Amino acid sequence: MTETVTDARTTRVVVSRRKEGDDHGALRYDTFDVAVGPRTTILDALVAIRRELDPTLTFRHSCFHASCGTCGMRVDGREGLACVTPVPAGDEVTVEPLGNLPVVSDLVVDMDAFYDDFDDAGRPLVRASETIPGAARAEGVDELERYEDCIECGICLSACPVAGSDPRYVGPAALAAAWRVVEEPRGLDPGPVVRLMDDEQAAWRCHLAWECSEACPSGVDPAAAIMRLRRSAVGARAHRLFSFGGNR
Amino acid sequence: MTTDQRPADRPDAGPRNAPVFVFQVISGAALLVLLGLHMVAQHFIVPTGLRFYEDVIAWLRNPVMIAVEVAFLVFVTYHALAGVRAILFDFGFSERTERRITNILWVVGIVTVVYGVALFAAILNAAA
Amino acid sequence: MASTTVGRGRPATGPARRRGMLGWFDPRGRRLGGLAFILNRLTGLGLVVYLYLHLMILSLLVQGPNAWDDFVDIALSPPFLALDVFLLTGMLIHGLNGIRVGLVGLGLVASRQKALFIAAMVIAAFVALVGALRIFGGE
Repeated sequence: MTETVTDARTTRVVVSRRKEGDDHGALRYDTFDVAVGPRTTILDALVAIRRELDPTLTFRHSCFHASCGTCGMRVDGREGLACVTPVPAGDEVTVEPLGNLPVVSDLVVDMDAFYDDFDDAGRPLVRASETIPGAARAEGVDELERYEDCIECGICLSACPVAGSDPRYVGPAALAAAWRVVEEPRGLDPGPVVRLMDDEQAAWRCHLAWECSEACPSGVDPAAAIMRLRRSAVGARAHRLFSFGGNR
Repeated sequence: MTTDQRPADRPDAGPRNAPVFVFQVISGAALLVLLGLHMVAQHFIVPTGLRFYEDVIAWLRNPVMIAVEVAFLVFVTYHALAGVRAILFDFGFSERTERRITNILWVVGIVTVVYGVALFAAILNAAA
Repeated sequence: MASTTVGRGRPATGPARRRGMLGWFDPRGRRLGGLAFILNRLTGLGLVVYLYLHLMILSLLVQGPNAWDDFVDIALSPPFLALDVFLLTGMLIHGLNGIRVGLVGLGLVASRQKALFIAAMVIAAFVALVGALRIFGGE
């Protein structure tokens, strides 16, 4: 970051705070004046706050380049990865933890249940259906694979208006993962995954707000995946119906 | 995400109620046709539209039109109450509460259709 | 991905930050799909109310021509005509967005939801405008 002194300005960073031992874990907002430049990200600002102003500020981060999914949070009400979200141009910015997940401390949420739903969905991690044509391969490497797009950041779940009122909704990430298992089973039987997600708290809870896909930092398009999963579910039901109920 | 039960943990985990959405789409498609017919009938058949008492009664005396209006009532009631159900279910109530909501809405729907049919009969009776 | 708290117990957590029902209707930060969701929900609820109002009003027909025609006189007043335009607009938004919900929601054209919504709203606006002109034009 080669910002000059003349590029710097001070912005008020309003941060949601919660500490289990403080006032019975009550929510509050703390304001910090932070020097920022045109390329300062929210994560940069939070690191500066923790380093210089309040070492008790708690937040997660890791890669600093939008590939680990650890630093998801709400900035001025919109979800994003803090490491690539620039501090906006105005005088103030509000930073809050991801929504629809239990808050552990300040900007840290409990991701356990979110991750566990990936187990139900079949936990696809590697995508074999896409290779880079013409890519050079190292000696001894027969084929190239890549990781699935989803970085399990939880941003889609936070953006979902249905998850905002229904804690039982499985959520877009797990459903998108389930679709990937259907689309590319890689030896898994997708039938049980389709049947599990063919449920009113799963694939049929979505109301097409598409906020998950808009917020996703990794191009997963979970909303489209949910719709395709629905098509699979309807197809599976029709197949069961017309094969006279055999093989549920 | 939640300490509540995930789909795999629920005692009745498995395919559940997905046809509600499918029937919502079917009823919606039917309404596009039936509402179109209803609007055409209301505004474009009689020069002033089905506005005055005599015009409405003459319309309702046609058994085909009654059948169309009853079909319209059935589909619109289903679509409306299934929509209400979908909205209520977004509150994340317990499964027991959701079953109660479904049962109540079925009763409301049946009462609505019965009321509507009885109303048609009462209107024609009063006009006789 | 194993829990990072294995062996050390789960951390105490506070409640999840959920926007709740008000979050359904908050347009701030929403994109087209989110606006479609809000519009569909609002118009749907409005049309449910209208359904039952309509059935109640139809009961005036049982009371004979005077009761009904007296109501029609009120219904032809400008405020009521404005409500008719409002109703027509709501029906168009809900119906045409419903086509998007049906097609996209069954996975038939999952990748075209934005284009479908825009097309639906353009058509709704056009037909609502024509309808409003007819309604206020005394047709």
